[in-house]
Amino acid sequence: MTCRKHQKIPTAAQRASARIIGPVSRPLRVAGAFAVLTGLIWPLQAATLAWAISGWVSGDMDRTGPAALIFVLGGVLRAALDHRAGKWLFDAADQTITRERAALIGREARARAGAGSAEIAALIVQKLPLLQPWITRYHVAMVRVLVLPVVLLILTFWFSWAAGLVLLVAGPLIPVFMALVGMAAEEASRRQMDEIGSMNAMLMDRLSAMLDIRLLGAAERAAADFSGRAETLRLRTMAVLRVAFLSSTVLELFSALGVAMVAVFVGFTLLGAIQFGSWGTPLGLGEGLFLLLIAPEYFQPFRDMAAAWHDRAAGLSVVADLDALDAAERVDFVGDAKPVPPLPGPLTLLLEAAVAALPGREVPLPDLRLTAGQALALTGPSGAGKSTALAAIAGLVPLAGGRISVCGSPLDAGTADAWRARIALIPQVPHFPDQTLQDWLDPDGRGADPWPALQLAEAQGIVQRLPAGLDTRLGETGGGVSGGEARRLMVARAILSGRELILADEPTADLDPETAAQVIRALIRLKESGHSLIVATHDPVLADAMGRSVEVPS
Amino acid sequence: MRALLPIIRLLLTASPWAMARGAALSVIVLLMGTALLGLSGWFITATGIAGMAGIGIAFDVFRPSAGVRFLALGRTAARYGERILTHDATLRALAALRVTLLRRQARLGDRDLASLRSEAVLTRIVSDVDALDGVVLRLVLPGLAAFVTHVLVFLALGWLAGWPVAWAILSGYASFATLIFWRLARRSIQPSDAVEAQDQMLRRGVIDMIRNRQSLILGATLGTREAGLMALNSDTRKAARALDLADRSAGAALSALVAAVTGLALVAGGWMVARGFAGPAIGAIGVFVALALAETLLQLRRGFSDYGRMVGAARRISGEVQTQAPIPDSPEADLITAPVLTIRKQKLSLDLGAGQAVALTGPSGCGKTSLLMQIAGLANSDAITILGRRPGDWPEAALREVAAMVPQRSVLIAGTIRENLSLATDASDDAMWRALTAVALDDVIRQRGGLDAKLREAGAGLSGGQARRLTLARAILKSPRLLLLDEPTEGLDPGTATRVLSGIRAALPQTAILAALHRGADHSVFDKRISIDL
Repeated sequence: MTCRKHQKIPTAAQRASARIIGPVSRPLRVAGAFAVLTGLIWPLQAATLAWAISGWVSGDMDRTGPAALIFVLGGVLRAALDHRAGKWLFDAADQTITRERAALIGREARARAGAGSAEIAALIVQKLPLLQPWITRYHVAMVRVLVLPVVLLILTFWFSWAAGLVLLVAGPLIPVFMALVGMAAEEASRRQMDEIGSMNAMLMDRLSAMLDIRLLGAAERAAADFSGRAETLRLRTMAVLRVAFLSSTVLELFSALGVAMVAVFVGFTLLGAIQFGSWGTPLGLGEGLFLLLIAPEYFQPFRDMAAAWHDRAAGLSVVADLDALDAAERVDFVGDAKPVPPLPGPLTLLLEAAVAALPGREVPLPDLRLTAGQALALTGPSGAGKSTALAAIAGLVPLAGGRISVCGSPLDAGTADAWRARIALIPQVPHFPDQTLQDWLDPDGRGADPWPALQLAEAQGIVQRLPAGLDTRLGETGGGVSGGEARRLMVARAILSGRELILADEPTADLDPETAAQVIRALIRLKESGHSLIVATHDPVLADAMGRSVEVPS
Repeated sequence: MRALLPIIRLLLTASPWAMARGAALSVIVLLMGTALLGLSGWFITATGIAGMAGIGIAFDVFRPSAGVRFLALGRTAARYGERILTHDATLRALAALRVTLLRRQARLGDRDLASLRSEAVLTRIVSDVDALDGVVLRLVLPGLAAFVTHVLVFLALGWLAGWPVAWAILSGYASFATLIFWRLARRSIQPSDAVEAQDQMLRRGVIDMIRNRQSLILGATLGTREAGLMALNSDTRKAARALDLADRSAGAALSALVAAVTGLALVAGGWMVARGFAGPAIGAIGVFVALALAETLLQLRRGFSDYGRMVGAARRISGEVQTQAPIPDSPEADLITAPVLTIRKQKLSLDLGAGQAVALTGPSGCGKTSLLMQIAGLANSDAITILGRRPGDWPEAALREVAAMVPQRSVLIAGTIRENLSLATDASDDAMWRALTAVALDDVIRQRGGLDAKLREAGAGLSGGQARRLTLARAILKSPRLLLLDEPTEGLDPGTATRVLSGIRAALPQTAILAALHRGADHSVFDKRISIDL
């Protein structure tokens, strides 16, 4: 609202229109022109009907056939024009959705912002299509409401100023009521949206914990809690609907009263009971019928507009989400993640006074040097930047200063992809995508036999125990295997990747000593088989096993 | 269609009285709308004739004009009432359906629960249920109202304006509109299914891409993944285009149909007037009624273009649910003499009484977890009885009162420590602190700000070992007669593990405890160690 005072700064709604409507304004203008044209055919059709029926009274029965023909042709033409305009509108929406999707898909994984993956997925999959009704309905409704009522009003005035006056008064009152109702609607739908969000979050949380809930006998309590939420959502939704129905009732009321008053006025005039309201020549039957037939069409654009208003509000809220995501601070990675041949030469890694650039802070990294076949542990307290150091070595985080050299050349956009072709990373938190273990273990699809690698990682038994073996699809966080088992599967995957340098982030965190020992044994075997190894850890046993430690300063 | 029937039954019977009133009102709305335009047309034509004949003074203007005003106001009021009643009844039924779906989700077996992808289920409970609100509101009720209106209008028109006009309107609308809607419904099924399936794939793909970002960058496959997702987008847009085309074609066909039927009514009316069967005013009624009846059809268009989406949603919702067999009559639980737990398997025989604790040991993968799940009634087995009755024969609620289990990968919920602890049972603050002390977590929680300290989504904010101990405290508060623990000490250092096991024993002296462990089984709390290899 404050923007209004400074005319130069566009409001959020204007910026949203510029972003979404601007690029497709041409097809929208054409479709709008078509929609107006469609609306203009109706007075012609109405005139033919009135002409034919007034012919029945005056005894001229020959008008019926031609009038019916013209009326039907007019109707078919309207249908065809609408059909055609609809195609352009769909194309415009289609382009917009695809463009915004491409931008999000091409950006959100490359440069991460703070938003959660489920949130981004909801924006891409569910919310972007909400732009479609805004594009296809609101703009056209806007064009129609600006032109058609004016034309029909002029036509009405042409025959009768009194009937015209009825429409003139009833028409503009509609936007006034709509504005009042609109304000209440906005508040109600915001609260409904919040409730949907919190119901979804609660549901998601309870579903993730469903096994626990069941085994604790808490299913009924969880269902009762959820039932309360669902009931609140119903009440909020009904509040929105009440406002929406009230507004459309107001519209219908005005339109019905307007039509009824025109009908009654025309009837009385035709009877001669009313002498005023027309220009000199009294209203004939044909003119009267014509006025009756065009009166509902005068109100129709207002009603369409009211219906499309909600589409606009939904579209604007999507754009607000998009804008927020655009403005978020991001961490980009080095390079393009394109498949390129591995960097040539013997494997070396050198960190010199390197400082990693994270959003809002810079993390100094330890100096270190590593050559082929060596292993080292990055140690230090939690939060010191051990994970950041691993990410920087893999080129996943840009540098703010200092340098990282890999195989003799600096790690930059030109070498990062080729460098990464020689390394593999075992993350701290396991994530299993929705694919079979077989495909997950061998992401490049080289068809390698996974069993030797599984044996090396002491993960053979894990897979053998799973009922579907290598065809198992694990839950998101590895539901079906324990934490230590998930780690060993990740080690097996790193071995299978054939990369020389393995980076492992806290591979023994949250594991009991025995399970941790299994993971450590797997890592040592990795080293013995000629791999280079860097682990970030605060587990002294693991650090000792690596032989060399580098302290990350906190 | 068959998939929709249970949903229709559910929605209509949830609050039948409100639905019935709503349905009656929706017929009234359509009838009044038709009558309004018909009466107005007749009124103007008749007054025109009267005026021309110079008998205007004798014409009764007041009843028709009062009728016009009554219909205009009545229609609006009826519309408002109808919408409120039917929407409220539908939303109530859908809210109940959501809860039912969540409940059914909780009844799944152990494997299904462990590999549950919460995103997919969330979509079921949220967007599929949303898709169903149109079944009654946009399909059944408007369809029913349109049918009744057309029949009543046909009878009224035949009586009032002559059967040729009535037949012209009914046959034109009934036959072609049925055809148009049938075709629209059929053409919507396949693309709706495609949109749904591809949207799900796109959603999963995006989430996987973002969570798996590092591995995609390291594998140099990020570009391929992005291209794959855009290919999915073009598939889903193609299906959306097919839906849009079907909808627009139906819209065009309907508006051409309205023009044709109105034209037909004009010809029929003209014929009646020319033959002298009717006056011009009566003859004109058909034309106006034909125009007004368009509303009955146009409001069905959206319902039919959503038909495919509704059928898909209904099918998924009913397909997801395998109804559980009712629990057969079974011997009464022998609460007094029978041991809390007996197992009679080929390689394992065990009687566990109150206050006893047994450790199950064996290499990982030997079947410890499966055995615990069988005891907990999430997998089938005949060789197990709890208090003399097989787990499958226990009513769910009663079984959970007797036996509680802490699974291996236990999950916390977002909310406060207090909310997490009272997930299954109401407990006093004292009891909560006692349980936290038992699992050696009281100091940690005190440092974090006590019972009202908040945890983020899925309990984030505690370390793995701390979260583990909190789930154990949750089970202690339940004070079950049989406590099943799957790797209770995983992620704990040996000192803490010992304290936690002793703490649990001390907090629940009467409880029979069966713990699957692969280390620490020599702890003094266990009366017996059984090594299994099933």
